[in-house]
Amino acid sequence: MPPGWPGATLPLPSPTVRRYLIAVLALAFLSAGCGSAGVPPEGVPELPPTDYPALSALLTASDRPVVLNVWASWCIPCRSEAPLLRRAQAESGDRVRFVGVAVRDDQAAARGFIAEFGLTTLEHYFDPAGSIPAGLGAVGVPHTFFFGSGGVLVHHHAGVIDEGALALQIDELARREG
Amino acid sequence: MEFSLLGAVALAVAAFGATLWLEAGRTNPVGSTRRLGDAALAAVLSGLLAGRLADMVAGGNNPFTHPADIIVVRAGVDTGFAALAALALLALYARHDLWGALDGLAPAALVGLAGWHLSGVFRGAWLGTPSGLPWAVAQPGSTITRHPVEVYAALALLLGALALHLRKRRTPLPGIVGAVALVVAAGVRLGTEPLRIGLGTGPEWWYAAGVALGLALLGWRLTRRPEAAPS
Repeated sequence: MPPGWPGATLPLPSPTVRRYLIAVLALAFLSAGCGSAGVPPEGVPELPPTDYPALSALLTASDRPVVLNVWASWCIPCRSEAPLLRRAQAESGDRVRFVGVAVRDDQAAARGFIAEFGLTTLEHYFDPAGSIPAGLGAVGVPHTFFFGSGGVLVHHHAGVIDEGALALQIDELARREG
Repeated sequence: MEFSLLGAVALAVAAFGATLWLEAGRTNPVGSTRRLGDAALAAVLSGLLAGRLADMVAGGNNPFTHPADIIVVRAGVDTGFAALAALALLALYARHDLWGALDGLAPAALVGLAGWHLSGVFRGAWLGTPSGLPWAVAQPGSTITRHPVEVYAALALLLGALALHLRKRRTPLPGIVGAVALVVAAGVRLGTEPLRIGLGTGPEWWYAAGVALGLALLGWRLTRRPEAAPS
Protein backbone atom coordinates (compact mmCIF):
# COMPACT_ATOMS: atom_id res chain seq x y z
CA MET A 1 0.00 0.00 0.00
CA PRO A 2 1.51 3.39 -0.91
CA PRO A 3 2.51 5.63 1.99
CA GLY A 4 0.20 8.48 2.87
CA TRP A 5 -2.79 6.67 1.38
CA PRO A 6 -6.24 7.68 2.64
CA GLY A 7 -7.66 6.26 5.78
CA ALA A 8 -4.50 5.95 7.78
CA THR A 9 -3.95 9.69 8.13
CA LEU A 10 -7.43 11.06 7.57
CA PRO A 11 -8.43 12.98 10.73
CA LEU A 12 -12.00 11.81 10.67
CA PRO A 13 -12.92 10.21 13.95
CA SER A 14 -16.47 8.95 13.81
CA PRO A 15 -17.56 10.79 16.97
CA THR A 16 -16.89 14.08 15.17
CA VAL A 17 -19.15 13.10 12.33
CA ARG A 18 -21.74 11.82 14.76
CA ARG A 19 -21.75 15.20 16.51
CA TYR A 20 -22.07 16.87 13.12
CA LEU A 21 -25.02 14.66 12.21
CA ILE A 22 -26.74 15.33 15.52
CA ALA A 23 -26.29 19.08 15.05
CA VAL A 24 -27.81 18.95 11.55
CA LEU A 25 -30.74 16.83 12.71
CA ALA A 26 -31.33 19.07 15.72
CA LEU A 27 -31.36 22.11 13.42
CA ALA A 28 -33.84 20.37 11.14
CA PHE A 29 -36.20 19.44 13.98
CA LEU A 30 -35.95 22.87 15.56
CA SER A 31 -36.67 24.44 12.19
CA ALA A 32 -39.66 22.19 11.71
CA GLY A 33 -40.99 23.30 15.08
CA CYS A 34 -40.77 27.00 14.28
CA GLY A 35 -43.90 28.76 13.13
CA SER A 36 -44.16 30.38 9.72
CA ALA A 37 -44.74 34.07 9.37
CA GLY A 38 -47.81 34.87 7.32
CA VAL A 39 -47.76 37.45 4.56
CA PRO A 40 -50.63 39.98 4.34
CA PRO A 41 -52.74 39.23 1.24
CA GLU A 42 -52.72 42.83 -0.02
CA GLY A 43 -53.38 43.14 -3.72
CA VAL A 44 -54.67 39.59 -4.07
CA PRO A 45 -58.42 39.47 -4.72
CA GLU A 46 -60.79 37.05 -3.00
CA LEU A 47 -60.45 33.59 -4.54
CA PRO A 48 -63.62 32.47 -6.32
CA PRO A 49 -65.13 29.36 -4.69
CA THR A 50 -65.44 26.25 -6.82
CA ASP A 51 -66.19 22.55 -6.63
CA TYR A 52 -65.52 19.43 -8.69
CA PRO A 53 -68.40 19.81 -11.23
CA ALA A 54 -67.50 23.46 -11.86
CA LEU A 55 -63.84 22.65 -12.34
CA SER A 56 -64.67 19.74 -14.69
CA ALA A 57 -66.70 22.14 -16.81
CA LEU A 58 -63.79 24.61 -16.87
CA LEU A 59 -61.36 21.89 -18.00
CA THR A 60 -63.70 20.57 -20.69
CA ALA A 61 -64.20 24.05 -22.08
CA SER A 62 -60.48 24.86 -22.14
CA ASP A 63 -58.93 25.11 -25.60
CA ARG A 64 -55.45 24.93 -24.11
CA PRO A 65 -53.73 22.26 -22.01
CA VAL A 66 -54.08 22.86 -18.29
CA VAL A 67 -51.67 22.29 -15.42
CA LEU A 68 -53.82 21.99 -12.31
CA ASN A 69 -52.04 22.32 -8.98
CA VAL A 70 -53.94 21.44 -5.80
CA TRP A 71 -52.38 23.20 -2.82
CA ALA A 72 -52.93 24.64 0.65
CA SER A 73 -51.15 27.44 2.49
CA TRP A 74 -50.52 25.17 5.51
CA CYS A 75 -48.80 22.55 3.37
CA ILE A 76 -45.01 22.87 3.62
CA PRO A 77 -44.23 20.94 0.42
CA CYS A 78 -46.69 23.20 -1.45
CA ARG A 79 -44.62 26.19 -0.35
CA SER A 80 -41.56 24.61 -1.87
CA GLU A 81 -43.06 23.80 -5.26
CA ALA A 82 -44.71 27.23 -5.63
CA PRO A 83 -41.58 28.91 -7.08
CA LEU A 84 -41.33 26.08 -9.63
CA LEU A 85 -44.89 26.67 -10.81
CA ARG A 86 -44.21 30.40 -11.16
CA ARG A 87 -41.13 29.67 -13.27
CA ALA A 88 -42.94 27.07 -15.33
CA GLN A 89 -45.72 29.49 -16.16
CA ALA A 90 -43.23 32.19 -17.11
CA GLU A 91 -41.47 29.70 -19.41
CA SER A 92 -44.64 28.34 -20.99
CA GLY A 93 -46.23 31.68 -21.86
CA ASP A 94 -49.74 31.29 -23.28
CA ARG A 95 -49.24 27.72 -24.53
CA VAL A 96 -50.38 26.20 -21.24
CA ARG A 97 -52.97 27.38 -18.73
CA PHE A 98 -51.96 27.16 -15.05
CA VAL A 99 -54.75 26.71 -12.53
CA GLY A 100 -54.32 26.53 -8.77
CA VAL A 101 -56.92 25.26 -6.33
CA ALA A 102 -56.53 26.02 -2.61
CA VAL A 103 -58.18 23.23 -0.65
CA ARG A 104 -59.20 22.98 3.02
CA ASP A 105 -57.77 26.45 3.62
CA ASP A 106 -59.00 29.87 4.64
CA GLN A 107 -59.20 32.81 2.30
CA ALA A 108 -56.76 35.10 4.08
CA ALA A 109 -54.05 32.46 4.40
CA ALA A 110 -54.49 31.31 0.80
CA ARG A 111 -54.28 34.87 -0.50
CA GLY A 112 -51.23 35.49 1.67
CA PHE A 113 -49.58 32.43 0.11
CA ILE A 114 -50.27 33.76 -3.40
CA ALA A 115 -48.87 37.17 -2.46
CA GLU A 116 -45.75 35.71 -0.87
CA PHE A 117 -44.77 33.60 -3.87
CA GLY A 118 -45.90 36.03 -6.55
CA LEU A 119 -48.38 33.54 -7.98
CA THR A 120 -50.84 36.24 -9.02
CA THR A 121 -50.56 35.34 -12.71
CA LEU A 122 -52.00 31.84 -12.12
CA GLU A 123 -55.78 31.34 -12.08
CA HIS A 124 -56.73 30.48 -8.52
CA TYR A 125 -59.87 28.95 -7.04
CA PHE A 126 -60.97 28.12 -3.55
CA ASP A 127 -62.29 24.70 -2.55
CA PRO A 128 -62.67 24.68 1.27
CA ALA A 129 -64.44 21.30 1.27
CA GLY A 130 -61.74 19.58 -0.80
CA SER A 131 -64.26 18.27 -3.35
CA ILE A 132 -61.83 18.64 -6.28
CA PRO A 133 -59.07 16.32 -5.06
CA ALA A 134 -61.77 13.90 -3.87
CA GLY A 135 -63.45 14.00 -7.29
CA LEU A 136 -60.13 13.40 -9.02
CA GLY A 137 -59.35 10.48 -6.72
CA ALA A 138 -56.51 12.21 -4.88
CA VAL A 139 -55.80 12.23 -1.17
CA GLY A 140 -53.88 14.99 0.63
CA VAL A 141 -51.86 17.81 -0.92
CA PRO A 142 -50.05 18.69 -3.10
CA HIS A 143 -51.15 17.14 -6.38
CA THR A 144 -50.44 18.27 -9.92
CA PHE A 145 -52.68 17.17 -12.79
CA PHE A 146 -51.86 17.64 -16.45
CA PHE A 147 -54.85 17.93 -18.79
CA GLY A 148 -54.88 18.15 -22.57
CA SER A 149 -57.28 20.62 -24.20
CA GLY A 150 -60.86 19.48 -23.72
CA GLY A 151 -60.09 18.19 -20.24
CA VAL A 152 -58.38 14.89 -21.12
CA LEU A 153 -56.25 13.78 -18.15
CA VAL A 154 -52.73 13.08 -19.41
CA HIS A 155 -50.77 12.68 -16.18
CA HIS A 156 -51.24 12.91 -12.43
CA HIS A 157 -48.30 13.59 -10.11
CA ALA A 158 -49.02 12.92 -6.44
CA GLY A 159 -46.90 14.77 -3.90
CA VAL A 160 -44.25 17.42 -4.42
CA ILE A 161 -43.25 17.75 -8.03
CA ASP A 162 -39.64 18.49 -8.92
CA GLU A 163 -38.32 20.57 -11.77
CA GLY A 164 -37.45 17.68 -14.08
CA ALA A 165 -40.84 16.00 -13.81
CA LEU A 166 -42.74 19.29 -14.17
CA ALA A 167 -40.75 20.37 -17.22
CA LEU A 168 -41.13 16.94 -18.84
CA GLN A 169 -44.90 16.83 -18.39
CA ILE A 170 -45.34 20.39 -19.69
CA ASP A 171 -43.23 19.52 -22.73
CA GLU A 172 -45.36 16.41 -23.24
CA LEU A 173 -48.58 18.46 -23.06
CA ALA A 174 -47.27 21.07 -25.48
CA ARG A 175 -46.11 18.47 -28.01
CA ARG A 176 -49.36 16.50 -27.83
CA GLU A 177 -51.23 19.65 -28.76
CA GLY A 178 -48.89 20.03 -31.74
CA MET B 1 -44.53 8.72 -4.81
CA GLU B 2 -43.00 10.60 -1.89
CA PHE B 3 -40.90 7.60 -1.00
CA SER B 4 -39.30 7.59 -4.46
CA LEU B 5 -36.77 10.17 -3.29
CA LEU B 6 -35.84 8.00 -0.32
CA GLY B 7 -35.45 5.09 -2.71
CA ALA B 8 -33.15 7.18 -4.90
CA VAL B 9 -31.02 8.16 -1.91
CA ALA B 10 -30.88 4.53 -0.76
CA LEU B 11 -29.73 3.37 -4.20
CA ALA B 12 -27.02 6.03 -4.41
CA VAL B 13 -25.77 5.35 -0.88
CA ALA B 14 -25.77 1.58 -1.44
CA ALA B 15 -23.84 1.94 -4.71
CA PHE B 16 -21.34 4.29 -3.05
CA GLY B 17 -20.91 2.10 0.04
CA ALA B 18 -20.54 -1.12 -1.93
CA THR B 19 -17.81 0.40 -4.11
CA LEU B 20 -15.96 1.75 -1.09
CA TRP B 21 -16.19 -1.66 0.58
CA LEU B 22 -14.95 -3.44 -2.56
CA GLU B 23 -12.00 -1.07 -2.88
CA ALA B 24 -10.88 -1.51 0.74
CA GLY B 25 -7.82 -3.73 0.78
CA ARG B 26 -7.43 -3.48 -2.98
CA THR B 27 -6.93 0.11 -4.08
CA ASN B 28 -7.77 1.66 -0.70
CA PRO B 29 -6.14 0.67 2.59
CA VAL B 30 -7.73 -1.97 4.76
CA GLY B 31 -10.06 -0.33 7.27
CA SER B 32 -10.43 2.89 5.30
CA THR B 33 -14.11 2.38 4.47
CA ARG B 34 -15.52 3.88 7.63
CA ARG B 35 -13.32 6.98 7.63
CA LEU B 36 -13.92 7.70 3.96
CA GLY B 37 -17.63 7.05 4.41
CA ASP B 38 -17.74 9.50 7.31
CA ALA B 39 -16.01 12.13 5.20
CA ALA B 40 -18.45 11.61 2.36
CA LEU B 41 -21.47 11.72 4.70
CA ALA B 42 -20.37 15.00 6.26
CA ALA B 43 -19.66 16.47 2.82
CA VAL B 44 -23.03 15.39 1.42
CA LEU B 45 -24.97 16.78 4.41
CA SER B 46 -23.19 20.12 4.09
CA GLY B 47 -23.83 20.15 0.37
CA LEU B 48 -27.52 19.42 0.86
CA LEU B 49 -27.91 22.19 3.41
CA ALA B 50 -26.07 24.80 1.33
CA GLY B 51 -27.76 23.73 -1.90
CA ARG B 52 -31.21 23.78 -0.33
CA LEU B 53 -30.68 27.25 1.19
CA ALA B 54 -29.43 28.59 -2.15
CA ASP B 55 -32.42 27.12 -3.97
CA MET B 56 -34.87 28.64 -1.45
CA VAL B 57 -33.30 32.09 -1.73
CA ALA B 58 -33.33 31.88 -5.54
CA GLY B 59 -37.01 30.86 -5.46
CA GLY B 60 -38.03 33.75 -3.22
CA ASN B 61 -38.63 31.53 -0.18
CA ASN B 62 -37.03 33.15 2.88
CA PRO B 63 -35.29 30.51 5.03
CA PHE B 64 -35.40 32.76 8.11
CA THR B 65 -39.17 33.26 8.05
CA HIS B 66 -39.89 29.69 6.92
CA PRO B 67 -37.12 27.52 8.41
CA ALA B 68 -39.21 24.36 8.22
CA ASP B 69 -39.02 24.52 4.41
CA ILE B 70 -35.29 23.80 4.61
CA ILE B 71 -35.92 20.13 5.24
CA VAL B 72 -38.09 19.73 2.12
CA VAL B 73 -35.14 18.85 -0.09
CA ARG B 74 -37.50 17.35 -2.66
CA ALA B 75 -38.45 20.85 -3.75
CA GLY B 76 -34.97 21.56 -5.05
CA VAL B 77 -31.28 21.77 -4.24
CA ASP B 78 -28.96 24.12 -6.10
CA THR B 79 -26.38 21.78 -7.63
CA GLY B 80 -23.57 24.30 -7.89
CA PHE B 81 -23.72 25.57 -4.32
CA ALA B 82 -24.19 22.02 -3.04
CA ALA B 83 -21.07 20.81 -4.87
CA LEU B 84 -19.03 23.79 -3.65
CA ALA B 85 -20.07 23.29 -0.03
CA ALA B 86 -19.42 19.54 -0.18
CA LEU B 87 -15.95 20.03 -1.66
CA ALA B 88 -15.15 22.79 0.83
CA LEU B 89 -16.12 20.64 3.79
CA LEU B 90 -14.19 17.68 2.45
CA ALA B 91 -11.14 19.91 1.97
CA LEU B 92 -11.46 21.17 5.55
CA TYR B 93 -11.91 17.76 7.12
CA ALA B 94 -9.28 15.96 5.10
CA ARG B 95 -6.83 18.85 4.94
CA HIS B 96 -3.94 16.69 6.22
CA ASP B 97 -4.34 14.25 3.33
CA LEU B 98 -6.67 15.88 0.84
CA TRP B 99 -5.32 14.13 -2.25
CA GLY B 100 -5.48 10.76 -0.55
CA ALA B 101 -9.08 11.37 0.49
CA LEU B 102 -10.10 12.52 -2.99
CA ASP B 103 -8.43 9.50 -4.60
CA GLY B 104 -9.96 7.16 -2.06
CA LEU B 105 -13.48 8.47 -2.63
CA ALA B 106 -13.34 9.11 -6.39
CA PRO B 107 -14.59 5.82 -7.96
CA ALA B 108 -17.18 5.28 -5.21
CA ALA B 109 -18.49 8.82 -5.67
CA LEU B 110 -18.92 8.25 -9.41
CA VAL B 111 -20.75 4.94 -8.80
CA GLY B 112 -22.98 6.63 -6.20
CA LEU B 113 -23.81 9.38 -8.70
CA ALA B 114 -24.60 6.71 -11.29
CA GLY B 115 -27.02 5.12 -8.81
CA TRP B 116 -28.68 8.48 -8.29
CA HIS B 117 -29.13 9.01 -12.03
CA LEU B 118 -30.46 5.46 -12.51
CA SER B 119 -33.04 6.09 -9.80
CA GLY B 120 -34.68 8.51 -12.23
CA VAL B 121 -36.19 5.44 -13.89
CA PHE B 122 -38.48 4.73 -10.94
CA ARG B 123 -38.90 8.41 -10.02
CA GLY B 124 -40.41 9.14 -13.45
CA ALA B 125 -37.64 11.61 -14.21
CA TRP B 126 -35.32 9.86 -16.64
CA LEU B 127 -36.52 10.99 -20.07
CA GLY B 128 -35.24 14.01 -21.94
CA THR B 129 -35.73 15.63 -25.30
CA PRO B 130 -37.64 13.82 -28.09
CA SER B 131 -35.62 11.41 -30.19
CA GLY B 132 -36.16 8.98 -33.06
CA LEU B 133 -33.27 6.73 -32.09
CA PRO B 134 -34.09 3.00 -31.76
CA TRP B 135 -33.56 2.98 -27.99
CA ALA B 136 -35.65 6.10 -27.34
CA VAL B 137 -38.45 5.51 -24.83
CA ALA B 138 -41.99 6.90 -24.57
CA GLN B 139 -43.82 7.65 -21.34
CA PRO B 140 -46.76 5.37 -20.57
CA GLY B 141 -49.70 6.46 -22.70
CA SER B 142 -47.57 8.67 -24.95
CA THR B 143 -46.34 8.25 -28.51
CA ILE B 144 -43.47 10.73 -28.12
CA THR B 145 -40.19 8.82 -27.78
CA ARG B 146 -37.42 10.49 -25.81
CA HIS B 147 -33.75 10.11 -24.89
CA PRO B 148 -33.32 8.03 -21.70
CA VAL B 149 -30.91 10.74 -20.63
CA GLU B 150 -30.41 9.60 -17.04
CA VAL B 151 -29.39 6.15 -18.27
CA TYR B 152 -26.80 7.76 -20.56
CA ALA B 153 -25.41 9.68 -17.58
CA ALA B 154 -25.34 6.59 -15.35
CA LEU B 155 -23.52 4.48 -17.95
CA ALA B 156 -20.93 7.19 -18.59
CA LEU B 157 -20.29 7.56 -14.85
CA LEU B 158 -19.95 3.79 -14.38
CA LEU B 159 -17.43 3.63 -17.24
CA GLY B 160 -15.51 6.49 -15.66
CA ALA B 161 -15.52 4.74 -12.28
CA LEU B 162 -14.23 1.51 -13.81
CA ALA B 163 -11.44 3.34 -15.61
CA LEU B 164 -10.44 5.14 -12.42
CA HIS B 165 -10.49 1.92 -10.42
CA LEU B 166 -8.14 0.29 -12.92
CA ARG B 167 -5.89 3.36 -12.88
CA LYS B 168 -5.72 3.32 -9.08
CA ARG B 169 -4.30 -0.20 -9.17
CA ARG B 170 -1.21 1.26 -10.84
CA THR B 171 -0.70 3.72 -7.94
CA PRO B 172 -0.69 7.04 -9.83
CA LEU B 173 0.57 10.27 -8.29
CA PRO B 174 -1.66 11.44 -5.41
CA GLY B 175 -4.55 13.59 -6.58
CA ILE B 176 -4.65 12.36 -10.19
CA VAL B 177 -7.61 10.01 -9.68
CA GLY B 178 -9.58 12.60 -7.69
CA ALA B 179 -8.98 15.31 -10.30
CA VAL B 180 -10.03 13.02 -13.16
CA ALA B 181 -13.16 12.03 -11.23
CA LEU B 182 -14.12 15.69 -10.88
CA VAL B 183 -13.68 16.15 -14.65
CA VAL B 184 -15.77 13.02 -15.34
CA ALA B 185 -18.60 13.92 -12.91
CA ALA B 186 -18.93 17.49 -14.16
CA GLY B 187 -18.28 16.53 -17.80
CA VAL B 188 -21.03 13.90 -17.81
CA ARG B 189 -23.54 16.44 -16.55
CA LEU B 190 -22.29 19.07 -19.01
CA GLY B 191 -22.48 16.59 -21.90
CA THR B 192 -25.97 15.30 -21.12
CA GLU B 193 -27.52 18.63 -20.14
CA PRO B 194 -28.62 19.52 -23.73
CA LEU B 195 -30.71 16.34 -23.72
CA ARG B 196 -32.52 17.26 -20.50
CA ILE B 197 -35.70 19.30 -20.21
CA GLY B 198 -35.65 22.01 -17.57
CA LEU B 199 -37.27 25.28 -16.67
CA GLY B 200 -35.37 28.32 -17.86
CA THR B 201 -31.63 28.55 -17.98
CA GLY B 202 -29.80 25.48 -16.81
CA PRO B 203 -26.80 25.16 -14.52
CA GLU B 204 -24.40 24.38 -17.39
CA TRP B 205 -21.87 26.97 -16.35
CA TRP B 206 -21.51 25.29 -12.97
CA TYR B 207 -20.64 22.04 -14.72
CA ALA B 208 -18.24 23.83 -17.04
CA ALA B 209 -16.58 25.36 -13.97
CA GLY B 210 -16.32 21.87 -12.45
CA VAL B 211 -14.59 20.53 -15.55
CA ALA B 212 -12.21 23.50 -15.56
CA LEU B 213 -11.41 23.03 -11.87
CA GLY B 214 -10.78 19.32 -12.39
CA LEU B 215 -8.50 19.98 -15.36
CA ALA B 216 -6.60 22.62 -13.41
CA LEU B 217 -6.09 20.20 -10.50
CA LEU B 218 -5.04 17.48 -12.92
CA GLY B 219 -2.50 19.76 -14.59
CA TRP B 220 -1.15 20.83 -11.23
CA ARG B 221 -0.81 17.28 -9.94
CA LEU B 222 0.80 16.05 -13.15
CA THR B 223 3.52 18.66 -12.87
CA ARG B 224 4.36 17.56 -9.30
CA ARG B 225 7.29 15.21 -9.10
CA PRO B 226 7.11 12.32 -6.63
CA GLU B 227 8.91 13.14 -3.42
CA ALA B 228 12.29 11.53 -3.02
CA ALA B 229 12.26 8.45 -0.83
CA PRO B 230 14.04 8.97 2.52
CA SER B 231 17.47 7.41 2.63
